[in-house]
Amino acid sequence: MAAEDARYRQSSQYLLWSFSPSQLASIRENTNAAARSAIAARLSSLPASSSNTLSAPTSSANTPDPEGSSTPALPEFLTPAEEALLVTFYTSELLRAGDHANMSDEIKATAAAIFRRFYVVNSIMTYPPQEMLIVALFFGCKAEGHFPSISEFGKTFGKENPDDILAGEFLLCQGLRFALEVRNPFRALKGAVMELGLLPDIEASRLAAAERRAREILRFSPLITDAYFHYTPSQIMLAALSLADRGLAERLIQETFHYVAPASNNSGADTPMSDAATTTTAPSKRAPATRVGGEEDKATIIGSHVRDKVLGAIEACRDMLAKELPERREHWTNKTVYKAQLQPLRKKLNKCRDPERSNLVGLQRARRQQAARKDDSDDEDDLDGQARGGGGGGGGGGTTLEEDGAVFGDAANLKGHKGGGGQVKKGLEDPFGPPL
Amino acid sequence: MSRKATAGPSALPELTSDDMCPVCKTIRYLNKDMEFLINPECYHSMCVNCVNRLFNDGPNQCPYAGCHRTLRRKGFRSAFFGDLAVEREVDIRRRVAAVFNQVEDDFETLRDYNDYLQMVEDLTFDLVNGSEAKRREAEATLQRWEAEHRADIERNRRAGREADEQSRRRLAAEREAARQRRVEALREAEEERRERERSREMELDSLAQGDAAAATGAQHQQRVQLKKRGQANRALEAATMTTTAAGTPAAADVGRLSIRGLKEKKKAPAASEGPYDPFGGMDFVPSRYKIRPGLTHPAIDKYRHDPAHITGGYSFDEYIDRVMFEAFAGLGVFIEDEKEAGIGLSAGEVATISAGIAAVGDKMELD
Repeated sequence: MAAEDARYRQSSQYLLWSFSPSQLASIRENTNAAARSAIAARLSSLPASSSNTLSAPTSSANTPDPEGSSTPALPEFLTPAEEALLVTFYTSELLRAGDHANMSDEIKATAAAIFRRFYVVNSIMTYPPQEMLIVALFFGCKAEGHFPSISEFGKTFGKENPDDILAGEFLLCQGLRFALEVRNPFRALKGAVMELGLLPDIEASRLAAAERRAREILRFSPLITDAYFHYTPSQIMLAALSLADRGLAERLIQETFHYVAPASNNSGADTPMSDAATTTTAPSKRAPATRVGGEEDKATIIGSHVRDKVLGAIEACRDMLAKELPERREHWTNKTVYKAQLQPLRKKLNKCRDPERSNLVGLQRARRQQAARKDDSDDEDDLDGQARGGGGGGGGGGTTLEEDGAVFGDAANLKGHKGGGGQVKKGLEDPFGPPL
Repeated sequence: MSRKATAGPSALPELTSDDMCPVCKTIRYLNKDMEFLINPECYHSMCVNCVNRLFNDGPNQCPYAGCHRTLRRKGFRSAFFGDLAVEREVDIRRRVAAVFNQVEDDFETLRDYNDYLQMVEDLTFDLVNGSEAKRREAEATLQRWEAEHRADIERNRRAGREADEQSRRRLAAEREAARQRRVEALREAEEERRERERSREMELDSLAQGDAAAATGAQHQQRVQLKKRGQANRALEAATMTTTAAGTPAAADVGRLSIRGLKEKKKAPAASEGPYDPFGGMDFVPSRYKIRPGLTHPAIDKYRHDPAHITGGYSFDEYIDRVMFEAFAGLGVFIEDEKEAGIGLSAGEVATISAGIAAVGDKMELD
């Protein structure tokens, strides 16, 4: 196995935040279902006389089956697909906000990835996306080693009170499972250009144009799709490059996976290399391969079988990116599209918001109060009730001690806690987001 | 335990009135040698004079108002702790420990032993801080236990005494050995000093006689002496070695610094894997690309001669390393396959990766 791949497999992006499409879909369904039941329970537990604008009276007319006269009828919930569409819309909003604040590509990309990851395990109905996207941007800045002052940052987005942003921060962290690293493909693109730059028969202008275009694509397409979940940064990068200049991307792959089984004894003949390229690249590349192991290893690392597989993955990724080319930016800001597709969804969202969690500041305050009061009283239920009355916040159950233990326990044995049994599992539930 | 029922720790008589006897109101100013005694019956303190005056003629009532305990002269002693509450607790604990003196070896499992300890501690707490009823109950339990397990207690006490005796003996032996060694070392040093002086005199003599040959002879002599010393040391070592081998473990401990009570550590299997690898055997040699001279990018070229970058020691090679790594890392990682089933992997990798996936997957289900 190639050393680079082994190293990539150590990353939190691979370990925690990579899914196959079916896995991702099932997680989203689970999230949606959990949010539905939680919100339904909370809505029906609200007193019917409450003047909460989010609760049902407006929608009770169009809901087909009102549950009873005493409890308000439940609103219509978003389906997973609708949620995904809305998340995509808000991701594009996030990118626009990033442009507005003149942020670097890395920050915007990281923030977008963070945002999308958060809404994989949390429903958009539970936590308000409009606020979370600013939190994600702020957090993206920090994750990329850029530390703006919170008040300045807030002013950029018209949030005078820094608490508006900070309230969601820990929540976001929890949702991310504290995996703050996002591996972006921008630097990888530079690497590909470097490698291609060494080939003598490629003009610099062609390369520069391809790089510009690929970067343009990377700035938008993978962020607004699920590419970050399904493909590795280098695959995304190559897909973008192939969208920009298919020849260049294929060339790079051919150069990389140049190994041919010795039986045919014409190493490098299947690649359209010039003689000069053969002499410069082929021997030097084979050197590390011989170090790693025998012919078998070489075949699995840079053989044609792997090459075909990589090409397949890149092709799939390319298809995914092609659906959201940078030209589609306008699509998401387009008034008519917005009116036709998104506005109804947003209205629907407004109706089925979680009554307790949509106010992040209140939620945060309630949690703090609860943590402060936890020492005084043992009666959890009573507390929860008080907190709900005071700030409209629910409670993350469990003591802080347990949560700490679970966090560290998780960090300690990321691989091995399968055998830990139910207790560990129970403990893990808490730090990664309170129950929906 | 045998205090007034209503008295909590705070109601104990304070010894802070160090300057006045609460019974006869004598103040320290008048009697410089005044000493306070307490009786563990009620822990009321009074001066020696009062004790003698009141109890010399046999048992008498405690002179404190409201305390009707009958005290005896014999029971009085001076308090070790300033705080009488502590004094009392220590007394109680001593008494409980004398009765509940089982050791870990008496139990089948550690769990049992811990339960036993917990029970003892609960009982002690009741005795020290409990209410009247609790205290009485605990007292009864204690006596019952004492009656039931008299034989065990006696045996353990004897064993404890023996262990004490043994450790005392061992300590004494060690001390004796250390003393011996010191004496030996002193004697040796003395001898050596004398030897040195003698050889020096010889040397001076020979120099005075202007005999070069003799001077070299003296040097030779000195060398011989050094050699001898080395030999002596070696002989000593050998001697200790033999005693170590033959003697008791206590004797073996004499030679080196030892911490008693440590369990004998099992020898770790001889590590022959070479030096420690903090990366757990991960390979950092790129296998799909190679860092070659000439790898560069227009975006970094302009910084190569920028003083702001190069004076700080910015390493362009490091940057190129990283860029190239990112370009190729994960190229052969097929998330769809690997997350689903681990297709295309070797068996070992499937195991480790799927463990990770399973772990992650479990968590996912929970949300």
